[in-house]
Amino acid sequence: MASPHPVVGEIEVLVIGGGVVGSCLAGFLAEDGVGVALIDDGRIGGSNANAGSLHVQMQSRFMRLYPQNVPGMERQLPLYPKGVAAWQALEKKLDAHFDLKMTGGLMVAESLDQLEFLRVKAARERELGLEVEVLGRAELDRIAPYFGESVVGAELCADEGKLNPLLCNAAIRRWILARGVVLIEGEAAGPIRREGAGFVVETKRGPIRAGRVVLAAASGSKALAAGLGVAIPAEPEPLHMNITEPTSAMIGHLVQHADRMITLKQFGTGQIVIGGGWPAHLAGERRHPTVELASLIANATLAQHIVPRIAPLRIIRTWAGINTAVDGKGVLGPVGPVPGLFAAIPGDAGYTLGPLSARLVAEMMAGRAPGEDMAPFSPDRFG
Amino acid sequence: MSGTITITFEGEPVEAREGESLAAALTAHGIDAFRTTRCEAERGLFCGMGVCQDCLVEVDGKPNQRACMTRVDRPLSVRREAHARPLAPAMQGQPPATIGDVEVQMPEILVIGAGPGGLSAAIAARRAGAQVLVVDERSQPGGQYFKQLSVGAEAGPPPDRQHREGAALIEEARSLGVELRSGVTVWGAFEPNEFAATAAGRPLRLLPKAAIVATGAYERGWPVPGWTLPGVMTTGAAQTLWRTARRLPGRRVLIAGNGPLNLQLAAELIEGGAEVPAVVEAAPRPGLARLGALLAMARSSPRLIRDGLRYHAARRSGGAAMVHGMVVAGIEKTPAGLQVRLAPAAGTGAERRYEVDAVCLGYGFEPSNELLRALGCGHDFDPVRRQLVTRRDARGLTDMAGVYALGDCTGLGGARAALAEGTIVGLAAAAALGHAAPAGSRAASRRAGRDLARHRDFQKALWSLYAAPAYSSKLATADTLICRCEEVSFGQIEEALGEEMELIGAVKRRTRVGMGRCQGRYCAPVLDALLAERFGRPRDEFSGFAPRIPVKPVAIGDLAGPGAG
Repeated sequence: MASPHPVVGEIEVLVIGGGVVGSCLAGFLAEDGVGVALIDDGRIGGSNANAGSLHVQMQSRFMRLYPQNVPGMERQLPLYPKGVAAWQALEKKLDAHFDLKMTGGLMVAESLDQLEFLRVKAARERELGLEVEVLGRAELDRIAPYFGESVVGAELCADEGKLNPLLCNAAIRRWILARGVVLIEGEAAGPIRREGAGFVVETKRGPIRAGRVVLAAASGSKALAAGLGVAIPAEPEPLHMNITEPTSAMIGHLVQHADRMITLKQFGTGQIVIGGGWPAHLAGERRHPTVELASLIANATLAQHIVPRIAPLRIIRTWAGINTAVDGKGVLGPVGPVPGLFAAIPGDAGYTLGPLSARLVAEMMAGRAPGEDMAPFSPDRFG
Repeated sequence: MSGTITITFEGEPVEAREGESLAAALTAHGIDAFRTTRCEAERGLFCGMGVCQDCLVEVDGKPNQRACMTRVDRPLSVRREAHARPLAPAMQGQPPATIGDVEVQMPEILVIGAGPGGLSAAIAARRAGAQVLVVDERSQPGGQYFKQLSVGAEAGPPPDRQHREGAALIEEARSLGVELRSGVTVWGAFEPNEFAATAAGRPLRLLPKAAIVATGAYERGWPVPGWTLPGVMTTGAAQTLWRTARRLPGRRVLIAGNGPLNLQLAAELIEGGAEVPAVVEAAPRPGLARLGALLAMARSSPRLIRDGLRYHAARRSGGAAMVHGMVVAGIEKTPAGLQVRLAPAAGTGAERRYEVDAVCLGYGFEPSNELLRALGCGHDFDPVRRQLVTRRDARGLTDMAGVYALGDCTGLGGARAALAEGTIVGLAAAAALGHAAPAGSRAASRRAGRDLARHRDFQKALWSLYAAPAYSSKLATADTLICRCEEVSFGQIEEALGEEMELIGAVKRRTRVGMGRCQGRYCAPVLDALLAERFGRPRDEFSGFAPRIPVKPVAIGDLAGPGAG
């Protein structure tokens, strides 16, 4: 028999989704003195599967795959350096160790065409306020002497970096528990219905009554919103990731490729994490993110092509995470047609934007000015 | 006739026997510390069968090679492995590969594991006319039960009946035209009939019409203080040293655990000249109350009972005491070797201590069901044996189409039961693919069914005789490592549980327990039991960590195949 629900009576705010956005949001609201419960189904958490890249420059993968989203991505681009700054601020605020390193990101080119693509991309990004430059091979070797001979140059984005999500997620969890957030784990939420001025959210252990509800469940928010007659076209994009056994510190940067899908970086543990958008799929009734052999082969062999010395290292684990694709921009703020309902869904590279997105939505919920023009990110744009 | 090969360890020459494992050669020369961990602890041979990843050494410049799975066939240059050693610079990688570049083998029936069950299934399916490929990770077929001699016969006593029986089974499979491939590590299972492997440094994709998973079992961990010290290994690891390479784990060896394999090991090590001060059995001394179980065993398998009596006689004549009702409670390194502390299994009473050079732990087995779980085959938790049991029909078919499973990987039944099951499952898999039943197959199947029933009775009686208390976390101190790979202590896990982490995945992400090279094989059952106990939940199908691919580490370079390095 399941134990009774930890939420007794009505909670002021129920946040649905215990990833980095929902957790941080619950923490910020609790610090505002708001009574918050956070519910998470505990199985398919995108943040739990995140590989820790802090993205700033436009990812060539998204530009190729979703050319129609490029204007949206460009609109969101200025948020990324702020997103990284929000991570740094959070690490300081929590007095925690996130293994956060701002060593910059390198997007490598293996041909002159690719290098030219990077030059055009960098010029546009500089117009949009990013600090980026394109390096030739000799300059590259001075800061990153680990690439194979096929690499001819790279775009360097100084604001990029990496962190260890395991350390971040654990520290954030400790913080919100200390702030009195009621944590409901291993339980799915929904459907949601309006009742009076508030909401009733169904769960396995019975309904939860909440004054306000935040959808912070990434692509899982789509069905929850649809139940209230609201369209939020957030789609899951299951992605493949690999991690190796440890080696000595060697790769300082977040490494990407101008024309191929890869991210490659090294954690403080010495392990190398290889990902970059190779597909996974949702399998079975539980829609469990599941890896594919084709992705594993292509991703791992591309990694040793760029950084040949990692060939003897063994992959000890692969897993599938979920990116959430909308229209290149986040979905952040009040849902106009349903008073009391909010969305907190960052756009591409949602982990990078997690704490920032949470803070922006928390400011809006508290009736304070978030310090950003939030109109482009309004949930009402899908009409 | 095989000779000796001079290898080097840290620059010093070591005389090895051609064909033996690197672990055997080093152990025979008194080298037991093969690597150091992140916390600068020494580690050596533990599981002896390629799963624990503790015996890693650097071989000819290649990092992180398992000494237990490395065959000495040339003069190797071996170095002690250090944590996170730098990689040698390289300028040229192999070209990026796609799945289309990978060698494909499409046997009608793929059997994974060349132990008794796998070989028996392959023979039955081949007799029915199916085309069968058997793959196995070791350098020789036979599995953990039929461990074959890997060195020349002059290295020790002649092969015994168990060796000979295995050799005959392997020969039968070969002569029938079963393709046996050794040295193939199957590390992934994707769609029901898509398996990924590596062999000789190259990737291999296996796309059979039907698969028979016969991956056996591995020994349960026994997380007590000192269980990670070099010189402490599983009973199976010590038996592999002796049965394949005629090497001993030490001069003076204590054997402890639960079940008859420990007794067999004692007889074998004594035959090899080791001094075994005691065989320590966790179960109480069998009294009259257990006579019924003994009689049932004698009825169902007189031969195994005769073997047991023979092992006891060898133990007695070798001067090894039989200690009942005690367990290993801690091991300490001393200048002379290892000091083992025994405590009563019941929890209270006087302790005993032994000074030895090696300790063998054999506290039962866990099924190697990683591939089955990765495929999504259903499992049920058996609370009596404390392990997952694969859901199958009477012909061994799992709930995934075309995927059969048998033997110890499905929940334990022993080698004899696996042999009988193999016949049934092999015939069923061949029949499902449209092969007409060969002459006499009905009788063979009936006979196998009777054997299987008999051996299951035997096992049931055996395990009522050897019913032992479960591992208790009372044996662990705060510093005792639960996760060998990531060096996560019992105290760290307790701390995470104190943060109300109810989900095993949350504890994993919080503490790194189970995130290492062995994929949580040793810590997951312990952690799962701790969680169930603490939160009053029954263990179920979703016990343990979510299965992750690769089920064994795979080198990035081995996915691309050889090329310019």
